[in-house]
Amino acid sequence: MKRKFAAIVCAAAVLCGSISGVSAKASEQDAAQKSEVVVTMTAASEPASGFDPAYGWGAGEHVHEPLIQSTLLVTNPDLTIGMDLATEYSVSEDGLTWTVKIRDDVKFTDGEPLTASDVAFTYNNCKENSSVNDFTMLESAEAVDDTTVVFHMTRPFSPWPYTMAITGIVPEHAYDENYGMNPIGSGRYMLAQWDQGQQIILEANPDYYGEEVKMKKVTVLFMDEEASLAAAMSGDADVSYTASTFADMTLEGYSLLVAESVDNRGINLPTIPEEERDGLVIGNDVLSDIAVRRAINIGIDREKMIENVLGGYGTPAYSVCDQMPWYNEASEVSYDPEAAKALLDEAGWKTGDDGIREKDGVRAAFTILYHPSDSVRQALAEDMANQLGQLGIEVTTEAAGWDVAYDKAQSQPLMWGWGAHSPMELYNIYHTAPESDLAEYSPYANETVDQYMDEALSTSDLEQSYELWQKAQFDGETGVTQDGDCSWIWLCNVSHLYFVKDGLQVAEQKIHPHGHGWSIVNNVDQWEWTE
Amino acid sequence: MKQWNRRKATVLILVISILFLVTVAAAGSQCSDAARATDFSRKNLLPCLEYPFGTDWMGRDMFARTLKGLSLSILIGVLAAAISAVIALVLGICAATLGRRADGVITWVIDLIMGIPHMLLLILISVAAGRGLKGVIIGVAFTHWTSLARLIRAEVMQLKESPYVKIAGKLGKGKWYVAYRHILPHLLPQFAVGLVLMFPHAILHEASITFLGFGLTSEQPAIGIILSESMKYLVLGKWWLALFPGLALVVTVIMFYLLGENLRRLIDPNSAHE
Repeated sequence: MKRKFAAIVCAAAVLCGSISGVSAKASEQDAAQKSEVVVTMTAASEPASGFDPAYGWGAGEHVHEPLIQSTLLVTNPDLTIGMDLATEYSVSEDGLTWTVKIRDDVKFTDGEPLTASDVAFTYNNCKENSSVNDFTMLESAEAVDDTTVVFHMTRPFSPWPYTMAITGIVPEHAYDENYGMNPIGSGRYMLAQWDQGQQIILEANPDYYGEEVKMKKVTVLFMDEEASLAAAMSGDADVSYTASTFADMTLEGYSLLVAESVDNRGINLPTIPEEERDGLVIGNDVLSDIAVRRAINIGIDREKMIENVLGGYGTPAYSVCDQMPWYNEASEVSYDPEAAKALLDEAGWKTGDDGIREKDGVRAAFTILYHPSDSVRQALAEDMANQLGQLGIEVTTEAAGWDVAYDKAQSQPLMWGWGAHSPMELYNIYHTAPESDLAEYSPYANETVDQYMDEALSTSDLEQSYELWQKAQFDGETGVTQDGDCSWIWLCNVSHLYFVKDGLQVAEQKIHPHGHGWSIVNNVDQWEWTE
Repeated sequence: MKQWNRRKATVLILVISILFLVTVAAAGSQCSDAARATDFSRKNLLPCLEYPFGTDWMGRDMFARTLKGLSLSILIGVLAAAISAVIALVLGICAATLGRRADGVITWVIDLIMGIPHMLLLILISVAAGRGLKGVIIGVAFTHWTSLARLIRAEVMQLKESPYVKIAGKLGKGKWYVAYRHILPHLLPQFAVGLVLMFPHAILHEASITFLGFGLTSEQPAIGIILSESMKYLVLGKWWLALFPGLALVVTVIMFYLLGENLRRLIDPNSAHE
């Protein structure tokens, strides 16, 4: 049924395309098609609240470039910071005031110029209304003159440029509650059509101030994995997302694009012994032993896991931020099952009659939770259970929906997916939560780690903050890595896979963040058809 | 001669179906571990001698999974149908014996429940009862009693008018005494057959609610889980993941149906002497 539906959608899309070109001659039609592209995405990628940055467009759970709007800054392919609207930016010594100069030649697509007051309006609006992204560190934004905007912060926040790289600037004069449905921006594309639940059509902004947009029309179709595959099989989609299960199929006229990602999977390990707080069980008697956590970290053969579960389409993960500028290479470990066993032996975990280790009457056993509809996470959990069985640790797997998973993860490992273009993720995972002595998602606390991260936030120099983020991971003595507290174990980065039609040159991809969605079209304007 | 043969055949089918179901239930409960064991070195194998139903994308033995799934289904089906039948019996008798008002209320409830789409009510009750095994059993138990209750009510009303019940009343026996000693024994055949014929319904509904994601959780090898997982792999041509478990479910349901039908033939006065 779904495939049928998708086929109808595709047929409709093709029909629309052909109707618009009916009067044109065949050669012109060809030329027009050479600057058009059809991309499929997961149904969940369709922005539920429209194209409003305040409600998660670009700046949401899964970050990407907003395309329709311009941003002050951008992230470069190596994830350092580059310029878009901004010409220069600086931060005060105390980290509480950011000053950004913007270009004066930018117009919204309705002809009005984009000024600093639009920027200030956007950020103040996000601060007031954004429920998706964190703007609490912003006190207020203020337009000093037409090209200068000043951000007053409530606390120093060095990753602010990464927020500025995903927040699309909206026009103050044309903003109301319906903005998300009829967005006006100054970005590379304009929204031409949106059929909810089916497709979005973007057309190039003819007055775009930056480099010329090569791909004039972008059609995004929303469908599930099977339908996406069908769209590629029938030739209706030019870029069709897929999963490792389907990646081994050969489709005539298509080749597989493997985009590296920091879309990682890993499990949290509660670091405190089991106790009850406010009716909730937190901590785990087995995993609170650091020897067990370290043994797991080196006792997992990540390469084999990727081969087994992802068909080889992934890279081993050693942290939540592999390959990011703030990644500390000390996180990397090598697979060594013998050393893992030795660690367990040394810590007093003796193998019992049934092959499972025990210490003081505690069995080396725990459960790994996973989301029921995610077969990749389930398979990772199962593979991990098999591998840990070899070490004498008994692992069972259990499905848990998001309604209960967060609470259960306080005492049992959960198969998570993370990976964003911002060091704040380290903070969210490892820093103690406000009004608590433990981190939010899994019981863990380390004062030194906290301190480095607090320093990293308050430094005024981005380069220097990278160094502090790295130190938070490991400073030579303590941290969150193998030689530190080893409070999360990262398994793999799941590569994002696409079937790409032959002849389409997809521009170089930034490392994709978590979420198999809009990231692929971050630079769709620079894609090209070649013969 | 012919009649004797027919009776023998009926008994034979009855015994075969009981044997089949007991074997499946017993075998399934023996392979809980095998049904969950994953081995990535043997994933996506076609059916062969070692793995008659093939293996899935995590290298799980589909034969063991199917057996375990069927035994889970049978367990749930028997439990839910038994609860359901007891509800039907109690309410059916109450409706027929406790006077007009009670009858009105109970008939109204029956009509109400029958009026709501079956699947919808099942999902609602199962989710409200906390999903999982418990949710499914409660959900199936509370949705399947209506038609049997109606049947029993009609039967009891008929029995109430029969001479021997009237005489018992005239002799001064209490209502409960009459219900227990005279009406209930007469009801048992219908009740037993109704109960057995409820199994296939219960099993199919368990499988469908789990298939839709409102029933058992995905680490349990229920038939509904197996079938919904296999959906994704059908596109890839992995037909064995859905075909054999699906067939096995159908066979199990048919066996229960045969069991019920033949049981009816043996104990229903209308056909018992054929």
